[in-house]
Amino acid sequence: MASLSEEVLLVVKRVRQRKQDGTLYLMAERIAWGPEGKDRFTVSHLYADIRCQKISPDGKAKIQLQLVLHTGESTTFHFANESTALKDRDATKELLQQLLPKFKKKANKELEEKNRMLQEDPVLFQLYKDLVVSQVISAEEFWANRLSLNSVEHSLSNNNKQEVGISAAFLADIRPQTDGCNGLRYNLTTDIIESIFRTYPTVKQKYAENVPHNMTEKEFWTRFFQSHYFHRDRINTGLQDIFSECAKEDEKGLKSMVTQGVKNPMVDLLSLEDKTLDEGYGTATVPTTSNSSNKSLRENSNSAIIKRFNHHSAMVSKAYTPLDRHQILTSLFVAFQVKLQEAIEYDDLQGDSGRKTISLNLKKSDRYSHGPIPLQSQHYSTSQDIINSISIIQHEMRSYKPRLTQVMSSSAASSAITALSPGGVLMQGGGQQTINQLVPTDVQSELKHLYTAAGELLRHFWSCFPVSTPFLEEKLTGHLEEMLQAAYNKFQAWQMRRMMRKT
Amino acid sequence: MLELKRTLDAKGHGVLEMPSGTGKTISLLSLIVAYHKAYPLEVTKLVYCSRTVPEIEKVVEELRKLMDYYAKQTGAKNDFLALALSSRKNLCIHPEVSSLRFGKEVDGKCHSLTASYIRAQHHSNPSQPVCQFYEQFDAVGRQVPIPPGIYNLDDLKDFGRRKGWCPYFLSRYAILHANIVVYSYHYLLDPKIADLVSKELTKKSVVVFDEAHNIDNVCIDSMSVNITRRTLDRCQTNVETLQNTISRIKETDAAKLREYRRLVEGLKEANVARETDMYLSNPVLPDEILQEAVPGSIRTAEHFVGFIKHFLEYLKARLRIHHVVQESAPQFLKDIYEKVCIDRKPLRFCAERLRSLLRTLEIADIADFSAITLISHFATLVSTYSKGFTIIIEPFEDRTPTIANPVLHFSCMDPSIAIKPVFGRFQSVIITSGTLSPLDIYPRILDFRPVTTASFTMTLARTCLCPLIVGRGNDQVAMTSKFETREDFAVIRNYGNLLLEMSAIVPDGIVAFFTSYIYMENIVASWYEQGILENIQRNKLIFIETQDAAETSMALEKYQEACENGRGAILLSVARGKVSEGIDFVHHFGRAVIMFGVPYVYTQSRILKARLEYLRDQFQIRENYFLTFDAMRHVAQCVGRAIQGKTDYGLMIFADKRYARADKRGKLPRWIQEHLTDGSLNLTIDETVQLAKYFLRQMAQPFRQEDQLGLSLLTLEQLQSEDMLQKIAQIAQQA
Repeated sequence: MASLSEEVLLVVKRVRQRKQDGTLYLMAERIAWGPEGKDRFTVSHLYADIRCQKISPDGKAKIQLQLVLHTGESTTFHFANESTALKDRDATKELLQQLLPKFKKKANKELEEKNRMLQEDPVLFQLYKDLVVSQVISAEEFWANRLSLNSVEHSLSNNNKQEVGISAAFLADIRPQTDGCNGLRYNLTTDIIESIFRTYPTVKQKYAENVPHNMTEKEFWTRFFQSHYFHRDRINTGLQDIFSECAKEDEKGLKSMVTQGVKNPMVDLLSLEDKTLDEGYGTATVPTTSNSSNKSLRENSNSAIIKRFNHHSAMVSKAYTPLDRHQILTSLFVAFQVKLQEAIEYDDLQGDSGRKTISLNLKKSDRYSHGPIPLQSQHYSTSQDIINSISIIQHEMRSYKPRLTQVMSSSAASSAITALSPGGVLMQGGGQQTINQLVPTDVQSELKHLYTAAGELLRHFWSCFPVSTPFLEEKLTGHLEEMLQAAYNKFQAWQMRRMMRKT
Repeated sequence: MLELKRTLDAKGHGVLEMPSGTGKTISLLSLIVAYHKAYPLEVTKLVYCSRTVPEIEKVVEELRKLMDYYAKQTGAKNDFLALALSSRKNLCIHPEVSSLRFGKEVDGKCHSLTASYIRAQHHSNPSQPVCQFYEQFDAVGRQVPIPPGIYNLDDLKDFGRRKGWCPYFLSRYAILHANIVVYSYHYLLDPKIADLVSKELTKKSVVVFDEAHNIDNVCIDSMSVNITRRTLDRCQTNVETLQNTISRIKETDAAKLREYRRLVEGLKEANVARETDMYLSNPVLPDEILQEAVPGSIRTAEHFVGFIKHFLEYLKARLRIHHVVQESAPQFLKDIYEKVCIDRKPLRFCAERLRSLLRTLEIADIADFSAITLISHFATLVSTYSKGFTIIIEPFEDRTPTIANPVLHFSCMDPSIAIKPVFGRFQSVIITSGTLSPLDIYPRILDFRPVTTASFTMTLARTCLCPLIVGRGNDQVAMTSKFETREDFAVIRNYGNLLLEMSAIVPDGIVAFFTSYIYMENIVASWYEQGILENIQRNKLIFIETQDAAETSMALEKYQEACENGRGAILLSVARGKVSEGIDFVHHFGRAVIMFGVPYVYTQSRILKARLEYLRDQFQIRENYFLTFDAMRHVAQCVGRAIQGKTDYGLMIFADKRYARADKRGKLPRWIQEHLTDGSLNLTIDETVQLAKYFLRQMAQPFRQEDQLGLSLLTLEQLQSEDMLQKIAQIAQQA
């Protein structure tokens, strides 16, 4: 077979595609199909290109699986092995279900990153427009160079990238709207769904189990909102409710969190008291054994609310707490010692032991300290310059001797002053009017774009040296020249236009 | 310091109120240590009692700092021995035993490995498991004194591991010759334990009760007994076990019983190494214990068991009533004499008698016999004290009149009974806390005459606390948790709005206290229905205290986490709950405390009523006065949790218009009262928000050491200069 080097995860025989029998291969990075008896794949899709998979309903005679690509094309496989068709299909589906999200994320991440870069950097965006959209160079080439350029910074920012937390009120933000005919309509955004999944992993699990083969996404969320799980009196979840299991799981999770105990002994209420009173002593009322039974329903649901809030808040705060923080705290003994020391320290009595602070991590610190200011080139004179010039002037003034015999006439002097003052003859053309006022802005911006585009091309050009790989050589001899040519053309066109305008 | 020195000089007792975080512990320690160094014969020992385990450890750490400073300044080697003592659970190093989670299990397991007869059996039968740590300690630990130093709980464990000695017994033994002992109240106040642990402490000790605002309740708890039907049932099985054991032993080993008979006949017990036998000691105070022979009617084992059986039947009959009975101890004794002919005298010996019986019968698992022990203690207590106790039998709970759940409360009403021997025995007893106001009430209810009572305030370079009384909502409806209006929709809504507004302006953590669990549950539910909680969640995470301690611990930890990482959180909690009494909310963990309502105790409880009556008759304290005092000390505790020192800052919001009244306000500690201006006595929510915003903005400014210098912080030069000292003296005069 063509690519034995690839890891084959699943092989399904007797799969039809376009009425042709063949074999379906699921590899580590792609799915492929080859017709019977031939040793090449006629169909091969990278997982990253696949948008989703669809399967035929259970009752149907043909057992099929359809792959929809990002481009909108689709490929349908028909599982033709009578006895095991359904099993084969399900196995494929399961595997795909596991594989697809991984690649989706990867693809999305890259896209997102590119998008972000383009949005953040208007110059780059323009460059992209100039070079890629006008097809001077391909998008891959453009990014190949860019991403690697940013990779250092990128990886750095990726490492301590702050994950965005979840709003504690995200459930409250889903405001139901009446749709006019006795129904409610909930608006869900991907953000909210993400929040729900992160806060309630059990729901996510349910989602993965049931969507898309048991119900549609919409149906799932409708059920979710109908479920008691979403509402406050969770204790009454019916059995038919798919979320009743979630509630139980949550309960279990809460319990396990509780039994894990707390790591900070200063807040552990259980070990707080050094109490030696035995049961039966003291004035405190004896807790009744039949506690839950004689509580009214209302009280029960009240305490359920409280429990739920605690759980919710704990989950929300857990969702954004990096895990390694907990690992730091594992050394219980040390943590306790530190806490004790902290508790007995008076910070105003200590010498200036620098308090540990988290430094502000800024990419562009000048932006932080100055605020947004228009970009302008300024000529700064150093203080040394100023001091020098002052001393020179002082020196000159000291040695200045008015030559009273050779003065101008007063009329000439006054006319010279008027000519030199703003609005005068001499002040019109000179330094006041710079080039950026002379040239219209659109021409300016166009010039700027051309300049950067040409610069980028040249950068590509020079980055090909030394020519170490055949790819680079090809790039250099082949299309780079074309590219430069394209740039020349562009420039020519612009020149022409300008000429035309001038004439 | 001045007051403390006077107290020590006069060899009397003192009551000192000092705000938390101002160095209460360290000043007490440093003065008493210095006093001890100067007059080693006058003050030989310091017994420092605190309430919780972390507090105890904190004290020891502070002491360590002090001693390090001594060593640095004088260059002399430290010859002090200071140590902490805690329960077995916190000190055990036995690999199996210490892995148990609950204190009771640890105690029981430890006992089953170290009891004297178990060890005796081990001699003849080496397969009997014993605790090798205790064996080691018993073999050599007593001869070699523990080297001087400061031993915290962990240090003791380390030391124990190194030497292979049991830290618990080591520390129990070492407190006899230690200079400073730090442990929990119970070791001194509970006569059952004090007799075992603290019996041999010298008279020339100084005793400090820190965090003593609840000391009267500790005293009362240690002397009170509750008996339910379950207790009686378990006692019944205990009696049967005893009977069986006795008859079995009689058949096999008559000698053992003979030996035990000798013990009973007034012979002093041979003082063998019996410290490991953890039978609770006599529940009554040492001077009340009769030093005579056990009366003949219960001298033999069978007779005694029969006697207990009788008593048990009588109690069962008493619990079978359908109406509430309240009677005094003499009435009870009269009734028992008339009905079942039980005399007072044998009852008094019950506890002692049971102890010797259990010991002779060599019963391993003492935890099983807690029920019968409880009954015997009740018998001894009820026959010993004729005053200060009351017996209340309730056939059912007030809330559920249909479910029979009879309880016999034998309740102590006079805290001075338990603490009296402490005051009598030790030359100086200092009672101190951050909140002891009004100061005059403690000497009255504890019945002692202090040499000094003083309340100190904080010297502040900036007013870092901001008490505000919110009396009305924006709609002018009075805000109060008064019984008649507490279910009022408007009140609940206004409380919700207050919390919502505060959650929007206060950074990091907010702690809110309610008057009771039930009230909190109701309010939380109606806030949920009104959508207030959702809006609060937009600003902060919400955590709520529950009645389950483990769950609350988790919520607390998450709360601190959320404050720590800047998310901000709100903790809804209950005054008188576990959180309000043991957890400090330092700095950003509590930037604002909101007190919803006045936390009066549940006044319908019969025990409380009896106690109030007693207070009125015996100490001339009016009911209302005491109730308000009790409520306000809890309020002070709650709001004081947020301010831990002068670098800390926080809002204190009293959300009840009743706080504005002089009788409530006047009972707050002075350091809070003096910042309460007339202008902030009856604010609306809006006004509160304005004031709070202003306060928080001011406090958020950088606060440097230089700002405090000369005011609340002195350099060494300043401290030595004459002018400064005069100025300080002046301030102290004014205070």
